[in-house]
Amino acid sequence: MTAPLLSVKDLSVTFRSDDGDLTAVRGMSFDVMPGEVLAVVGESGSGKSVTSLAIMGLLPRSARVSGSAMFDGRELIGADLKQLRKIRGKDIAMIFQDPMTALNPVFTIGSQIVEAITLHNDMSDKAAWERATELLNLVGIPDPKRRVKLYPHEYSGGMRQRAMIAMAMANEPKLLIADEPTTALDVTIQAQVLQVIRKAQAVTGAAMVLITHDLGVVAGLADRVNVMYAGAVFESGDIDDIFYRTANPYTLGLLGSIPILTARVSDKLTPIPGAPPNLRRLPEGCPFRPRCVFATEVCHGSEPDLMAVNGGRHRSRCYHIDKVAEARAGSTV
Amino acid sequence: MLAYTVRRLFSSVVLLFIGTAVVFGLTSISSNPELLLATCPPTRCGAEFRSEMIQMYQLDKTIPERYVSWLGDAVQGDLGTAVRDGRRPVTEVLGERLPKTLLLAIPAFVLTALIAVALGVYSAVRQYSVGDNALTAFSFIGISMPTFFFGLLLQVFWGVWWQEWTGTRPFYVTGYHNADFMDLVSSLTLPVATLMLVSVAGESRFGRASMLEVINSEYIRTARAKGLPERKVIFHHALRNALIPLVTIWALDFALLLSGSVITETVFAWPGIGSYFLRSITNYDLDPVMAIMVFTAAITIMFNLIADVMYGVLDPRVRYD
Amino acid sequence: MTDLGSRQQLEMAIEAEAAALEAEGLDIEARSMRRQTWDRFRKHPVAVVSLFLLLALTTAFWVGPWLSPYTYDQVLAGLPNEGPSLSHPFGTDQIGRDLMVRVFTGGQISMTIAIVVALLTTFIGTVIGAVAGFFGGWVDNVLSALTNLFLIVPGLLVLLVVAIKWGGGVYSTAVILALLAWPVIARVVRGLFIQFKEQEFVQAAIAAGAKPGRIMFRHIIPNTFGPIIVNATLAVGAAIVIESTLSFLGLGVRPPTPSLGNIIQDYRGAIDSDPTKVLLPGLFVVLITLCANFLGDALRDALDPTSRRGH
Repeated sequence: MTAPLLSVKDLSVTFRSDDGDLTAVRGMSFDVMPGEVLAVVGESGSGKSVTSLAIMGLLPRSARVSGSAMFDGRELIGADLKQLRKIRGKDIAMIFQDPMTALNPVFTIGSQIVEAITLHNDMSDKAAWERATELLNLVGIPDPKRRVKLYPHEYSGGMRQRAMIAMAMANEPKLLIADEPTTALDVTIQAQVLQVIRKAQAVTGAAMVLITHDLGVVAGLADRVNVMYAGAVFESGDIDDIFYRTANPYTLGLLGSIPILTARVSDKLTPIPGAPPNLRRLPEGCPFRPRCVFATEVCHGSEPDLMAVNGGRHRSRCYHIDKVAEARAGSTV
Repeated sequence: MLAYTVRRLFSSVVLLFIGTAVVFGLTSISSNPELLLATCPPTRCGAEFRSEMIQMYQLDKTIPERYVSWLGDAVQGDLGTAVRDGRRPVTEVLGERLPKTLLLAIPAFVLTALIAVALGVYSAVRQYSVGDNALTAFSFIGISMPTFFFGLLLQVFWGVWWQEWTGTRPFYVTGYHNADFMDLVSSLTLPVATLMLVSVAGESRFGRASMLEVINSEYIRTARAKGLPERKVIFHHALRNALIPLVTIWALDFALLLSGSVITETVFAWPGIGSYFLRSITNYDLDPVMAIMVFTAAITIMFNLIADVMYGVLDPRVRYD
Repeated sequence: MTDLGSRQQLEMAIEAEAAALEAEGLDIEARSMRRQTWDRFRKHPVAVVSLFLLLALTTAFWVGPWLSPYTYDQVLAGLPNEGPSLSHPFGTDQIGRDLMVRVFTGGQISMTIAIVVALLTTFIGTVIGAVAGFFGGWVDNVLSALTNLFLIVPGLLVLLVVAIKWGGGVYSTAVILALLAWPVIARVVRGLFIQFKEQEFVQAAIAAGAKPGRIMFRHIIPNTFGPIIVNATLAVGAAIVIESTLSFLGLGVRPPTPSLGNIIQDYRGAIDSDPTKVLLPGLFVVLITLCANFLGDALRDALDPTSRRGH
C-alpha cells in the first residue's frame, strides 16, 4: 500500500474573539492518496474551508491551529513560513471560490500566471509567457495569445475561473485544493468549469481536495467523500458508500432524501430543517441532534464516535446507522 | 483618453468661471475698498485719492459689471493692482511670493505622501500592534491640533526650550533666510513640519484603511497561496491597489496645503502668498485677494484633473468614454 | 451565503452566522438596542474619560469665572506678569489680568461658539440633506452644485473673506462657521435618506399611503440619529479648531471678549519670555478637540451595528 500524499491527524482550529473562542474544526483526520480526488462536503460554517486554509497556513493570526498535516513527509502545521512558501503554489496549489475577487485587478492575467511560474522555476520571462499562453489554451480559453495580455475585468466569470485553474496548474502541483470552485459561477458555466478541473487533474496527475456544499458536483469527480458537520467528519467513504449506502442522517439530508417530519419549513432551500449549529455553544451530545429526525435519548448523552460501517473504510458518526439504512431503503424503493 | 481629458478640462473651466463669479461677489462685498475710504480721514485720503480709488476699483459700477471687466483683464493675464503694495501689478507681487510658498508646499506635499504611505502600510500590516495603536493616538492628536498652535509649539520648543537646554538653535523660528542652502533648509524645517501636521495625520489614517481593505481581499490570499514572499505580497500586490484611492486624497491635500499656508506663513512670518492674503484682506486690497483665491481654485482643479488621469493609469478597470 | 470571503471575512461570516442564530431565537440573549450601544461604548475607556473630561471642562468654564473674585478684563494694579500662585493659579498677564479667569471665560466663549455651530450645522444640514435625499429635485441639484463648488473654492480663504466683514462677534462668528460647514452633514444625511428610502419598511409605509412628512419623521429620522449625533460631536471638535484659528488670525472673536484663539494671539508677543502663557490656552483647545474626536469615534463604533466587534 502506498503512503498517503497528505495525512491530516486530529486537526483543530479555534478562532479567538472578544465574544469567546470559536472552534471551527474539531479534530479532523483524513488521508489523501496520490492522484486521488477527495471531496469535502458540508454546509457553510461546517469547517471545510477552514481545514484547507489551515493546511496552507493561510489562516489569520487570531486562529489557533493544533494537530498535524503531513504532506509528502513534511509537517505543514507550525512549519515556518519559508518552508511553507516553497510548497505553496509549487506542490500544493489552490483554486478559490470567487474568480471575480481572487485575481488581482491591477495586473494582467498573464503576468499573474507568469509570476506563479517564475517564482518556483528557473525560467526566462519569455519562456514563462509562452508557458502561460499554453496553459490558457489548455484550460480552453480561446485566442490565448491575445487574452494573456488582458486584465481580469476583461474576462468573463467562467474565463477567470479557467485562468485561476491555469495558474494553479502552472507548476504541476502534487495536490490541488479547489475551494467551492463553481459556487460563484452561473449554472450554465459550472459544468464546463468542472470539466476543466477534471482535465487539469488528469493532465497533472495531481491529487485533489474538492471542497463543496453541492453533492451534485461530487458525483462525477470524486473518488472518496468526507461529509463534514460542525467542524467534524460525520461520514467518510468511497463515493458509492456515500451515495448508495448512506449511513448518516446528515448525509441523507444533503442528498435531499430525508423524510420531512418537522412542521417547521425553512424559507431557505435547505433540504434539512433548522440551521447549522452555533459553533460557540454546540448542543450537548450529537451536534446534529436538534435537526435530526432519528434523534433519541442516547443522542443527548455524548457525541458519537466516527464508527466503521460494515467493517470497511466507510465510517459514520451516528448511533442510529441501522435506522438510517432502513429509512434509505424505504425512500429509494 | 484624450477626449475624456479635454472634456474634463472644459467642464473644469466652466466650474472655475462659476467659482470666480461667486468668489468675486463675496470679496467685493466683504473687502469693499469703500470701507477703507469711509474710515480714512480726509486729511490722508483727499478728494483726488478718493476719485482715483473709485476709478481704479470701478466703485461707480455694479458688481456684475466689475466682474466682467475683471474677468476680461484676468484672461489676458492682468490680475489687477496691489494698491497697498506700492501699486505694483498683482502678477509681479505674486511672482515674488509664490515661489516661497511653493518652497513650503512642495516639500510638505512630497514628504507627507511618503510618510503617510509608510505609516499606512506599517499600521495595516501590524494592525492593533503597539506601534499601530501609537500611530492611531498620534493621528488623533494631529487631527485635533490647530495648525497655528502646532507652529507655536515648535517655535517654543526649538526657539526657547531647546536653546535653554543646549544653548543652540538648530532652526530658524521665523522668517525666510537663504544665505546658503543650509540656511534655507534651517528656515524651511519648522514651517514645512507645521504645514504637514494635519495632512500626515489624515493621509496615514486613510492609507491604513485603504491598505487594510486590500490586505483582507481575496487576491492577496491568492498571492500568498502562490508562495510569494510577504514582502512582495505587500509591496507589489497590495500597495499597488491601495494607492489608487490615495491619489484623490493627494490632489485634495495639495490644494489644502496651499490655502493652509495662510496660517503657517502667518505664524512663521514667511513671505509667501498665504501671509500676503491675510494682509491684503485686512487692508481691503481687493485685487490680490481675488488673484490668490482664483489661483488656488485653479490649482485645485488642475490637481483633480491630474488625479483623474493618474487614476486611469493605476487602475485598468477605469475607462474613459 | 458565501462560504468564504477573505481571511477576516471568514471570521465575520462565522460571527454573522452566530448572530443570525441568536436572532432566529435559537440562542436568545436579548439585549435592547440602547443597552447594546451603551455596552459597546463602555468598551472604549478613552471615550468614557473623554466624555467625563468634556463635562468637567464645560462646568469649569461656566462655574470657574463665576466663583472667581476677578473678572476677565479686570486689571489688577501692580501685578503684571505674575507667575502661578495660589490666588492666581495660571498667573497674570502683561497688564495684570488674572490668566485663569481669562482662559476659562475664553473657553466659555469658544465652547458656546462650538455648540452653536454644532447645533446649527446639524439642524440646517439635516433639513436640507433630508429634503434632498427624500425628494431629490431642485434641492438635491442645488446641494450637489454647492458640493462641487466647495470642492474647488478654497474654504479657508472664503472663510477669511467672509469673516472680515461679517465676523467679529461671538454669535456672528458662530453663524458664519455654521453657514460654511453645513454641507458636510447635509451630504451624510442625504446619503442616509437615499439609502433608507429604498428599504422595505419605508416602501411599505409609502405603499400604505403615509404622507411624506410622516414617513420622514416616523420612519427615517429615528434611524439616522446615530450618524447625525456622531457628526454633531465631531463638528464640536472641528468648530473649536476653526474658531481658535480664526480668532488667532484676528478675524474671529475680537478682544476685549476673550476666546481661546484670541488670548493666544494676545500673548504671542511674549512667546520668548513667557511661552507657557501662549501654550496654556492652546492646550485647552487641543484637549477639547481631542475629547470630542475620541467621543465621536467611539459613538460611531457604538451606534453602528455592523461594527459589532469594535476594537
